[in-house]
Amino acid sequence: MKIPYTNFSAKNSAIRHQLVSAFEQVMDSGRYIHGPEMFAFETEFASYCGARYATGVANGTCGLHLVLRAMDICAGDEVITAPNSFVASAASIALVGATPVFVDVADDLNIDPKNIEAAITPRTKAIIPVHLAGRPAKMGPINMIAKQHGLFVLEDAAQAVGAKYGGVRTGSLGDAASFSLHPLKNLHAFGDAGIVTTQKEALVNRLNMSKNHGLSSRDRCEFWTYNCRLDELQAALLRVQLRELDRWTDERRQLAFRYNQLLAPYLTVPEEASGEFHVYQTYVVQADQRNELQKYLVNHGVEVLVHYSTPIHMQPAASSLNYLPEDFPVTMHQSKRIMSLPLYPGLTHDQQDYIVELVAQFYK
Amino acid sequence: MRIPFNYLPLQFADPSAIVRDWEKLIATSEFTLGPAVDAFEEKFAAYVGMDHCIATNNGTDALILALKSLGVGDTDEVITVCNTFYATVGAIVACGATPVFVDCDKRYQMDVSKIEAAITTRTKVILPVHWAGASPDMDAVMHIASQHRIEVVEDACMGIGASLRGRSPGTFGRINAYSMHPLKSLNVMGDGGMVVTNDESLACWLRKYRNHGMVDRDHIEFWGVNMRLQPLQAIVASHGLDDLQPVLEKRNRNAARLDRGLTPLAPNVVLPLRPSGFMETQALYMGLFENRNQLLLHLQNHEIEAKVHYPLPLHLQPAARSLNYSVGTFPVAEWQASHLITLPVHQFVEAEQIDFMVETIGKFYQ
Repeated sequence: MKIPYTNFSAKNSAIRHQLVSAFEQVMDSGRYIHGPEMFAFETEFASYCGARYATGVANGTCGLHLVLRAMDICAGDEVITAPNSFVASAASIALVGATPVFVDVADDLNIDPKNIEAAITPRTKAIIPVHLAGRPAKMGPINMIAKQHGLFVLEDAAQAVGAKYGGVRTGSLGDAASFSLHPLKNLHAFGDAGIVTTQKEALVNRLNMSKNHGLSSRDRCEFWTYNCRLDELQAALLRVQLRELDRWTDERRQLAFRYNQLLAPYLTVPEEASGEFHVYQTYVVQADQRNELQKYLVNHGVEVLVHYSTPIHMQPAASSLNYLPEDFPVTMHQSKRIMSLPLYPGLTHDQQDYIVELVAQFYK
Repeated sequence: MRIPFNYLPLQFADPSAIVRDWEKLIATSEFTLGPAVDAFEEKFAAYVGMDHCIATNNGTDALILALKSLGVGDTDEVITVCNTFYATVGAIVACGATPVFVDCDKRYQMDVSKIEAAITTRTKVILPVHWAGASPDMDAVMHIASQHRIEVVEDACMGIGASLRGRSPGTFGRINAYSMHPLKSLNVMGDGGMVVTNDESLACWLRKYRNHGMVDRDHIEFWGVNMRLQPLQAIVASHGLDDLQPVLEKRNRNAARLDRGLTPLAPNVVLPLRPSGFMETQALYMGLFENRNQLLLHLQNHEIEAKVHYPLPLHLQPAARSLNYSVGTFPVAEWQASHLITLPVHQFVEAEQIDFMVETIGKFYQ
């Protein structure tokens, strides 16, 4: 049996008709940038997250980058984040000239609040907690620390659309949040896309300009900046998908719970602590003999990935930050054990059973 | 007679060929770079005759990537024109460098006679713009640059399909940028752009930098950005490139007809010289018109969708405050900014519409 890591066709074929008509409507309108679909999606997405404002951007990386710039975070500043994320979390900090300061994670794969205070210096300006794999970071303690030290909290919600902490959705858990809507995300465009949410009017006003050449009107440029717009085609497709998101999330959760039950004897399975609502964008287990198990599964037709085998602090990109592997023992330990199994709407119980059986055989 | 500026619904009235390729792409789920982008890059590189094309999310990104690849940073100055789109300067500032403006000439192009006076020890790049789809005197720019050992990066965002004595804009500087914004000669249904270069090491660095500094999925060589062209748009661009030649020919025919009609209206109407040996894209057909604001209203009242690109030159924008330019610094660009009108000459404008525009403008000056 061949099981790909991800498969769009099941969920998209069910809404194919709506997707095609969204495509056609935009195509016929002749308005491809900065138009009604983007504005509507921004309103709908903000409301979905319970945030006051949202602004569509070209991708999740520019979302993080533009927020940091808007907050005037620059050379000489430090921003605290987790070392086990996708590189963009740290890269966006480096892009504004600031220094990424990593803090080790806890068992939940997310930044461990108890390590944060030790990393704060007079130069610290912000914390970027990452809701890795779809599980919300411990935002209660994180926000409390941030408040005590006057730090800006930017959620890296790239992997966690719809996740909740204490009943509150990501996107409303910090001062601002950046979402990626890349094709591998639970809510996704058919290409790169992203969106930023915030409660702060001044920030969204700034972002609305900074993603669009600094324009306050067609003929007036307030400041020199980038072009990082969400286009109309993708916005229209995202609007269709947003209506399905909760249903898809529910299906993911049911599949994850089923995996958990079946795999718990062999692997460390992802948990959901009380007050958390995990959306399982990535179903990450921790395994003994991970590399061998991965090979075994791949050889049997199951596509398995690792997110990510080299933590950011060990990447060549981070060499000037002078971290050692042992600086973040939990991250390093997990990086040798983590593995992402196929999980998506449309994955069948038969497919799950096949994977579980292979895992069981491997450890026999 | 309505003459719309936006021709996109007409251009994409039958998108079936594009949609067929989209469906194939969607079936493969290759939404992050991949074969569609590779194929377009190869095709475009061959079209302009350069070794490498790196497709980007938009023209601004292309300019940023071009400048970054040359190491443009905080202490550098980049010379460009004050009558360009905001993105030219946005890109310079995004690299941390300081824009240094020069005035334009009567063809709305960089006044090459003003470049040398703007060069300092900090000048790293001259960034000429192929404004409106015409071109500055690139031979002169290249000559000055080589004498001073300064790099040239062309902003050829409006120049796809143009030619300077047989050579495409974007093939003079070491690394150059294009845009495929919906209202450009080669356009997509969203944002898109690319850089081209013959320098393999720059291309190699850019391919990584554009995509998070990734060598492969698990190996991040340096901090990078996400400035990738979307594969859906690569497909639109690829079809557009196939269809580009007749589009350019029609635009140039329209422009020539408009030139013939408007020339007798001098001195109320002043058109740019069109030196022989240059083929323009006519991305923007611009003339200088007496009593511009009234004429603009008059045109709009006759459903002619004329525009102004742009009423305020960049050195006088709020964004330029810290650069300390003042009114009068660039008299040519400033005078033009208060007289420019852009008229629609796109490929869906017909001869009778051109004649109607000429007639409407003629009546205004009677």
